[in-house]
Amino acid sequence: MQLVLQIIANGLLIGGLYALLAVGLTLIFGVLRVVNFAHAEFMMLGMYGAYWLWALYGLDPYLSVFLVTPVIFLLGVAVDRLIVRRSIGKPDVTVVFATLGLSIFLQNAALTLWRADIRSVSTFATGSVFVVGGVRLSVAMTVSFAVALLFALALWIFLTRTMYGKGIQAVAQNRRAAALMGIDVKRAYMITYSVAVAAAGAMGVLVAPIFTIFPRVGQTQIVTIFVIVVLGGLGSVPGAVIAALLVGIIRSGAGFLFGTAWGELAYFAVFLLVLIVRPQGLFGRRGAEVYGG
Amino acid sequence: MKIVDSTPISPAAARITAAAVLVLLLLLPLFIRNIYWIDLGVTVLIWASLATAWNISGGFAGGLSLGHAAFFGVGAYTSTLLFLRLGITPWIGIFVGAVLAGLLGALLGVITFRLKGPFFVLATLAFGIVIHIINVNWRGLTRGAAGLLLPFRGGPQNMLFLNLWAYWYLALGLLVLTVGISAAIERSRLGYYLVALREDEDAARSLGVRVVRSKVVAAATSAALAACVGSVYAAFIQYIDPDSTTQFELSVQIALVAIVGGMGTTFGPVLGAAIVIPLGEILRARVGGGAALVVYGLLLMVIVLAAPNGAIAGVRLLVLRFRRLIQSRGATDA
Repeated sequence: MQLVLQIIANGLLIGGLYALLAVGLTLIFGVLRVVNFAHAEFMMLGMYGAYWLWALYGLDPYLSVFLVTPVIFLLGVAVDRLIVRRSIGKPDVTVVFATLGLSIFLQNAALTLWRADIRSVSTFATGSVFVVGGVRLSVAMTVSFAVALLFALALWIFLTRTMYGKGIQAVAQNRRAAALMGIDVKRAYMITYSVAVAAAGAMGVLVAPIFTIFPRVGQTQIVTIFVIVVLGGLGSVPGAVIAALLVGIIRSGAGFLFGTAWGELAYFAVFLLVLIVRPQGLFGRRGAEVYGG
Repeated sequence: MKIVDSTPISPAAARITAAAVLVLLLLLPLFIRNIYWIDLGVTVLIWASLATAWNISGGFAGGLSLGHAAFFGVGAYTSTLLFLRLGITPWIGIFVGAVLAGLLGALLGVITFRLKGPFFVLATLAFGIVIHIINVNWRGLTRGAAGLLLPFRGGPQNMLFLNLWAYWYLALGLLVLTVGISAAIERSRLGYYLVALREDEDAARSLGVRVVRSKVVAAATSAALAACVGSVYAAFIQYIDPDSTTQFELSVQIALVAIVGGMGTTFGPVLGAAIVIPLGEILRARVGGGAALVVYGLLLMVIVLAAPNGAIAGVRLLVLRFRRLIQSRGATDA
């Protein structure tokens, strides 16, 4: 029983962090109908941002997150202008390979600039553990989880309580009707993309004290994020959050039961199965892959 | 999706050009002595075949696969393992690998034919990763990350040669085979079916195109040819491991070569290999592997955003301009 609780607690903590990444990816898809293959690369940039601010100026990641996130937001604005906006509504090959090209570019630019060395950040919380009801929790993970929750809450308020957010929701539902209502669709795209990648960057800063940092780190995570957003239904924000927590728990349980490698295989098999049997996922809507809607 | 708007090059002219290029490639051993260039040449030919194989399902049928390394790996491992474990020559193993990969491709085709756009891409990506994970972890069969070394036993009867030029002709033969099949498909009823369902699946279905069967045949053919390339690659390099055969990056590069050259055309992927592979080699040697991939990323973005028809469209345009120039000269002379 103790063990089950431990597995669930670890899974929820890691799942909560993944949620911050997955919500952005699913939001971009829901609004722009673009699968952002470069999404995890913004997490990687966030991690390096945290690392350099810590290594050069001794800034704690829980502070630098408020510096790095706006910078990644601006980067998102630039990427939207230069790449994403130009691919929207184009054939599949353009939509898919434009962000895939960006992912290859960012990964290897990081590799060239900062080399393949594995780096890590240590904070006041590194290595310490606290116990709740017999369950041991990492302090670093818990603090990161709490800050991630704060960011998720801010994102939710932005989407549901502000005019920008409501405009974005309208565009996701029906872009033509939204445009007729006087909503600037292109601006909605830009804000969505930038906010989503900024969330990925924030997630990167928050996991910098937990994960090891290297240029290809995004690639090790992106497929997990795809599993999450497809399971939750591409385009569905609540679906992404629930699926992230679910995948977190499944991963920590399967890793314990079968070892990491075969556990990983199991959830890819589930992923394929979901795509084939129920491509709209648990909470998505049918036909979401078509741009017109 | 429009691939090429006009075809200024007549089929006869294209055939003559292809024949001339082939003769040149056959005679190339007379001119080149440097081992480095021969090695690079064989690599280009192998990539040209691989991208041509991808193009049959990815270009003609529009099923953008990010899992083709799986089929390449099945081919490489099947012929190599049959040779190592049972002493069966790769000349036979290459066909066993092709059949296995063809069945696997057909299976993937059957379960994914309904998926559209990003869902199809993600399914092929997940499929490729499943094969890669199996490859890395089934150590009893594949020896995992340690890889398999092909011992030099027997020589030509086992697809192993002392002379590098023999591999040149082997890879050239493979390219003629894949391009031949690709061209035959393009001109066949199946080819027109594939293009029709790529452009508008519902309209094609209503006109009587057998959507599922066409897609599955294309997927199986594409997979089987990719496996053949894998077997030849294994015989050429004589060492295979998961990183060099089934990795995700490899799947991306296969698609990249075809897209840069011009997907949906017979000769586009060949042109893509002739551009991308030497470029990558030169950059790797001069500025390092990371920088080479930075350029690949940039190239991919620029091509799909600015010239989605690939380099072959540019060549067509040049031919057209050149012909107009000659015609106008002829007019002024007369």
